[in-house]
Amino acid sequence: MATARPPTVHEEPTTLILLLLAHVVAALACLAPGRHAARWALPVAAIAPAVTFGWLVSQAPAVLDGDTPTVDIEWIPQISLSISLRLDGFGLLMGLLVSGIGVLVLLYSISYFGRRDDLGRLAGLLVAFAGAMLGIVWADGLLTLFVFWELTSITSFLLIGFDDTNASARAAATRAFLVTGAGGLSMLAGLIILTIVGDTTTISGLLADPPTGTLTNVALVLVLLGAFTKSAQFPFHFWLPGAMAAPTPVSAYLHSATMVKAGLVVVARFAPAFADAGLWRELVVGAGLASLVIGGVRAMRQQDAKLALAHGTVSQLGFLMVLLGLGTPATTYAGVAMLVAHALFKASLFLSIGVVDHEAGTRDMRRLRGLLRALPVVAATMIVAAASMAAIPPTFGFVAKEKALDGLLHAEIGAIGTIALVGIVLGSVLTVAYTIRIVVGVLGDDAPGIGADDDGDTEAGGEVAAAIDPADVHRPPFALVGAPALLALLSVVFGVTAGAVGDWLAEATASLDPETASKHLVLWPGINEALMISTAIIAAGVVLWWFTRGATRTLDARHSPATAAYDQVYDGLLEGARRTTAATQSGSLPLYLAIVLTTVAVSLIVALGAGATDSISSPRFSNSPVEFVAVVVTGLLAVAVVFARKRFMAVVLLGGSGYALAIVYLIQGAPDLAITQFLVETLTIVVFLLVLARLPVDFAPGPAWAPRIVRVGIATAVGAAVAVFALSASGARTEPSVGETFVALSEPEAGGRNVVNVILVDFRGFDTLGEITVLAIAGAGVVNLVRAARRPQRRKHLDDGNEDVGHDHDGERSSTDSDAGRQLGVWR
Amino acid sequence: MSAPPRSRRSVVLTETVNGITPVLLLFSIFLTLRGHNAPGGGFAGGLVMGSAVVLRYLASGPRGVRSLRVDPIVLIGTGLVIALSVGLTSLIVDGSFQESAIWKWHVPVIGDIKIVSSSLFDIGVHVLVVGVVMAIIVAFAEADDEMRGRS
Repeated sequence: MATARPPTVHEEPTTLILLLLAHVVAALACLAPGRHAARWALPVAAIAPAVTFGWLVSQAPAVLDGDTPTVDIEWIPQISLSISLRLDGFGLLMGLLVSGIGVLVLLYSISYFGRRDDLGRLAGLLVAFAGAMLGIVWADGLLTLFVFWELTSITSFLLIGFDDTNASARAAATRAFLVTGAGGLSMLAGLIILTIVGDTTTISGLLADPPTGTLTNVALVLVLLGAFTKSAQFPFHFWLPGAMAAPTPVSAYLHSATMVKAGLVVVARFAPAFADAGLWRELVVGAGLASLVIGGVRAMRQQDAKLALAHGTVSQLGFLMVLLGLGTPATTYAGVAMLVAHALFKASLFLSIGVVDHEAGTRDMRRLRGLLRALPVVAATMIVAAASMAAIPPTFGFVAKEKALDGLLHAEIGAIGTIALVGIVLGSVLTVAYTIRIVVGVLGDDAPGIGADDDGDTEAGGEVAAAIDPADVHRPPFALVGAPALLALLSVVFGVTAGAVGDWLAEATASLDPETASKHLVLWPGINEALMISTAIIAAGVVLWWFTRGATRTLDARHSPATAAYDQVYDGLLEGARRTTAATQSGSLPLYLAIVLTTVAVSLIVALGAGATDSISSPRFSNSPVEFVAVVVTGLLAVAVVFARKRFMAVVLLGGSGYALAIVYLIQGAPDLAITQFLVETLTIVVFLLVLARLPVDFAPGPAWAPRIVRVGIATAVGAAVAVFALSASGARTEPSVGETFVALSEPEAGGRNVVNVILVDFRGFDTLGEITVLAIAGAGVVNLVRAARRPQRRKHLDDGNEDVGHDHDGERSSTDSDAGRQLGVWR
Repeated sequence: MSAPPRSRRSVVLTETVNGITPVLLLFSIFLTLRGHNAPGGGFAGGLVMGSAVVLRYLASGPRGVRSLRVDPIVLIGTGLVIALSVGLTSLIVDGSFQESAIWKWHVPVIGDIKIVSSSLFDIGVHVLVVGVVMAIIVAFAEADDEMRGRS
């Protein structure tokens, strides 16, 4: 039924854009008021994803029927950049996950955080992130995809580093951002190549008629690199555990259910068309299996339940990467089912750990005990969600994994399919083992405490902390347990109703690969190969857990080889920059001037030597006696500057030369130029003199490396070269002057008779805007330098009890000066 | 030539500056507004208004600048926003950045009034330039205060 659908265009596609805008508006509404938004920001932010969820549900029947709303808004037509969105079945499914879990996380956050000043920022960033994520799953334009991709990188950077006074959180945020950002650039390159070789700007266009060839294969590798970084795949997996520095609700949303799925979304969309091309399958299976196993092993060695879950997420993402990347209809279908299952159970587990942390005050599995009785609802939630993670019937995780194993058993893709199957079985054994470990660790009664049972290992930093007392654990409010419990419940409901859910997923997945439309899910497949493998996996997992349960050695995430490699590159880069700066920036003004001026002279002389001398015209010296005098005075004063012995004298002579030049301008018929020259000259002199008042009267002696002869040589060379070049340039015109056109157009087009001004504010207004922006930056720089220098100074004043007016913030103020100063702000 | 301490300040200079300031301000606005049709413009106008601030500083020292109760950074920002919004408005209305719009009214008694949108742009430039000049002067005023604080 899926293959025969004619593509129809939806009537009201702009709703997609409006929904994204709603996220932007909600984000701004939460961010702009700062602290004032803290009390209402989270519920307000939840409105945008809630509305999105509702709309998606209402559209579901039509979309699943093949009716795909599309939107195409031109942005920069010159580079065929437009915002292209398309809501197909997969986009609908992902949209429901992103917005649904988004609402739950925001509501959960209300009671998780209680009263804090910075909740406006948190809510704003979360909803901005949700919008960007929706953009990724709905994107049809290749560049649209990239834009939203980067937006999720930026928002997640801000969210990981939310606790911005914590250095390790900032470092984790930077690491995540640099890794995913570098991957994003790689993906951009890949997408651009695909745009060119595929001669299309949309994903749907690309997939409808996939290009082939070496260039395409290179592009696909680049795209995959981007997907791997975003989905924390080996060898880029190391940023994800660090990202757990974010508050737990953020981790639950970004690093389990949504952002890390972005890479999978791209892989899932591309795989059906490109899985056979180049190194696609090798890369996807290699990175996926490596992540699956490494994440699983590392999850076994964490004591912090949240970190164990994080490593488990790396592992699960690897599993999904393999399934969605293989590109066969059966694995794609199973991958999508697993994606849904994973989003439900992983978000539920993270949020549950958040509740435990909130109520018991720790996430350390060595200290937690007695929670089964103290937090019964949370415990039940965790057990159910964990069962789905370990693929135990009747959860949805079990159903999806059965389908995955079945799909792999019957995938006809040769040896790589077998490798994938073996790897996944191994990884699944680990999954079962670490799942039991986490559940037993958090809920079990055996809690040695930290340090008490350690065999002298120092990784806990010598810290000793006893197990918690279950009597101290608070009962969480309903709002806190509601969200994880609902997600866990869905894990079971979807499992029990696997048939109906499976049909629905088949329709949604048909947009990835039409052949999946005929797939089904069943809760109980009967005794078949897949079920036997599943049983073996669970049994092996239990055995593995049993034999490793006594191990207390903790693996420090910071000491993984990948992190070390990253740190080395990062530190090396900074050190290299420092050395380059130290080598090139001596801080000596004479040296800088010598380099700049020598460069100018040499390049001009080279240009003149290469034939630019041909156009030298003999200049007219002057038109009138007044002009003659002005020119001579300009020159004489300039020469006099060189011989001035005192700084003051030099400045005055320089100013005089400038004024004389202004007169030349005036005589030549350029009053605007003359006015500006006069004014600038005046202000320059004043500023110069104000500076000189703070400097020694005489010039400093010349630097030892540049004796007088060198300085004179450079100066003369520059002067001569510039003069000759000016003569040459003025005679080199081959095209008619644009000035004529400007003069003609000035009055009719721009309504001004002063063509100089019209050029500045209209014809070349954009240039002027750029110039005043530079001016503004310079001005702001001056102000900020003054303020920066002021801060320690002011503290000193306060300490000294100095009675100086205007400085003192809290002390006595005797005059209106300090009041004005306060309003000025500069005195602070 | 830092600003003189109160005792050494010239009354004549102070009074002259006080007298000339309104003239300078009016002249600077005049320069900016006439710029579209005759020599002048926002940059020149801004510099003249900035000179008024400089004169005030030379005559009355940091106190003279402080009593203006204007934060240079606000001026800089305001100017940039004005200039930018003129360009953006034309981009939205007209589809191209900074295309001049020309409005003409006939007002009884005064005569024809013509306003070109790019004059607004020039006003932005004017405000920004005043801010930059003022920022520099404030830097000196700060340094004066520091020196006095130390002595």
